[in-house]
Amino acid sequence: MSNTKEFKPTDWGSPEMQARTRRRYRRDRNFKAMGVSAVLLAALFLFLLIGKIARDGAMGFLQTSIDIDVTFSEEILGDPRAMSAEAFEDHVRQANMIRLLDEALTTEFPEVTSRRDRRSLIRMISGGAREQLRTMVLETPAIVGSTRTVRLLAADDIDQLRKGKIDAAEEEANRKVKDKELAWYRKLDEEGRVSLNFHTRFFTSGDSRDPELAGIWGATMGSALTLVVTLFIAFPVGVLTAIYLEEFAPQNRLTDIIEININNLAAVPSIVFGLLGLAVFLGVMHLPRSAPVVGGLTLALMTLPTIIISARASIKAVPPSIRDAARGLGASPMQVVFHHVVPLAMPGILTGTIIGMAQALGETAPLLMIGMVAFIVDIPGGFTDAATALPVQIFLWADSPERAFVEKTSAAILVLLTFLIAMNGLAIWLRQKFERQW
Amino acid sequence: MLDMATKVDPMTDSRTPKMAAKDVNVFYGDNHAVKGISLDLYRDEVTSLIGPSGCGKSTFLRCLNRMNDTVATCRVEGNITLDGDDIYDPKIDVVQLRARVGMVFQKPNPFPKSIYDNIAYGPRIHGLARERTDLDEIVAVSLEKAGLWNEVKDRLDSPGTALSGGQQQRLCIARAIAVNPEVILMDEPCSALDPIATAKVEALIDELKGRYAIIIVTHSMQQAARISQKTAFFHMGDLVEHGDTTQIFTSPKQERTRDYITGRFG
Repeated sequence: MSNTKEFKPTDWGSPEMQARTRRRYRRDRNFKAMGVSAVLLAALFLFLLIGKIARDGAMGFLQTSIDIDVTFSEEILGDPRAMSAEAFEDHVRQANMIRLLDEALTTEFPEVTSRRDRRSLIRMISGGAREQLRTMVLETPAIVGSTRTVRLLAADDIDQLRKGKIDAAEEEANRKVKDKELAWYRKLDEEGRVSLNFHTRFFTSGDSRDPELAGIWGATMGSALTLVVTLFIAFPVGVLTAIYLEEFAPQNRLTDIIEININNLAAVPSIVFGLLGLAVFLGVMHLPRSAPVVGGLTLALMTLPTIIISARASIKAVPPSIRDAARGLGASPMQVVFHHVVPLAMPGILTGTIIGMAQALGETAPLLMIGMVAFIVDIPGGFTDAATALPVQIFLWADSPERAFVEKTSAAILVLLTFLIAMNGLAIWLRQKFERQW
Repeated sequence: MLDMATKVDPMTDSRTPKMAAKDVNVFYGDNHAVKGISLDLYRDEVTSLIGPSGCGKSTFLRCLNRMNDTVATCRVEGNITLDGDDIYDPKIDVVQLRARVGMVFQKPNPFPKSIYDNIAYGPRIHGLARERTDLDEIVAVSLEKAGLWNEVKDRLDSPGTALSGGQQQRLCIARAIAVNPEVILMDEPCSALDPIATAKVEALIDELKGRYAIIIVTHSMQQAARISQKTAFFHMGDLVEHGDTTQIFTSPKQERTRDYITGRFG
């Protein structure tokens, strides 16, 4: 028995103790309530953001069309039976499609006679109607001489009117659609010629100055080509760097400096990478401007630190006992790494890579610097074609004065978000598929 | 066909040591972990290395197959031979050395692969089996020698990590056996196992004795007494005493040994 002083017996039932217990419970409750409200607040903001974009964007996938009875007159288009196919094609290409449209609208609105009004009338139809009519004639020359009801895209203002974005009650001077046009529109609408349809063109065409003709396919292709370059550079370089630093590099000052700098690079603002890309790839190497290859290289530089850091973390997470086991059996350092460590680290490496890719997909600033911000109508077909990317397209549209681009912008954001969510979903799926127990 | 038994070699008869350490010093940076140890290890024998934690016994064990090579700060001095050849000679291929001197670790560490692939990995990287049937046989024989065959023969494709702890450790022993080693190093192979699994592993070590030189680090003096013929007592990096197990445990010559085995310190 020791002769030290004995403790007093603790009275767990005393009022003080009970108050202490109550206080502890209250703190627990308060902390939980704070946590829940933080989550709810975050969820609310996310809901508002997505909700707003979805509401605006949903309309971007729809487009107003007007059904017009068009007479494909021989006088304007030429007679396909009277001339060779080539001659007919030439003739059609040079034919004045506006006249065709003008005549069709005159039949519809015989009361409109003044030149000016007829011009306004034609402007209710999208400028793309000419190309649409020409394509119809070229595809089926037999159409010449007949009258068909053709569904033509409405101009963006009429589209906005149909969607309720332009208020008819507004004073005429402040309204994009004037009273006369409103009357014509109402007449067409009463005849059931105005309709709102799913806008496939939005997914198949490139950029345009006319909102109703603009699409995201060009930007999507640009993004895809850019990401291919990014992936093919950043993934092997990043993973090999991570493997070397983690498994082979000697622990010395140089390695420490490299490590610190990689971590710093991850925090460098992306526009700096854009400046670097501009200086090196365009300035020194003279690669083509606005090209996915340059965008891809620049984004690869930006993505590298993300991939290296996540790959190193997952390589580090492989238990050392696995390395010991393989080494103890006589596996060479290479065999240890490629037979055991890398396969076990793969889910983490892939997750990091996909998240890096998703980052690259959403990146705008560096692409602005290397000229991928140009207005490009053609769909890029290769790595050196001029192209733009989805986020840059969103940026361009958000900057456009036409009202109809607001919904196009939101629709494009929705498409971009869909891609990002799909990529992150893929990352989660890969992680779960390859996750192993040890 | 594949004969797993050790080849008869004049160099490896029981009177010449299989491995010999002469004046081995190990440093971790400035820390002198193993101090001038000389120890002969014979085939046909199980040698136990005992001593309190941090006494350098695991460090010494890891010198015997150069597992310490991967520790950047570790420096080994002195001379360790396997069949008379210096294993720290630059001409020695460390990959081959580790195939000849196998190792079983403290924590069972099967690869997260099938039982079959766990065993087959070593023979595959060393090219020990030319055909699939050879490999099948190596796997079967190794598992049989490790006393695991009857428990796993119907589920060779299931993951090695799904086995119980004791089975995993025997799987690791089978994996070491599969590359046909001459020496097996065991670093506290039973410290993570329950008494029943420990008994099975001890029985297995007893059975393997004679075919391989076995060197085992253990914290259990009962275990050392049960399974080993030779015992070496380490303390603070020194090899205090070594000799026949019965002698060490019944009439130790050094006071430190006596204190340790009677539980007065450590």
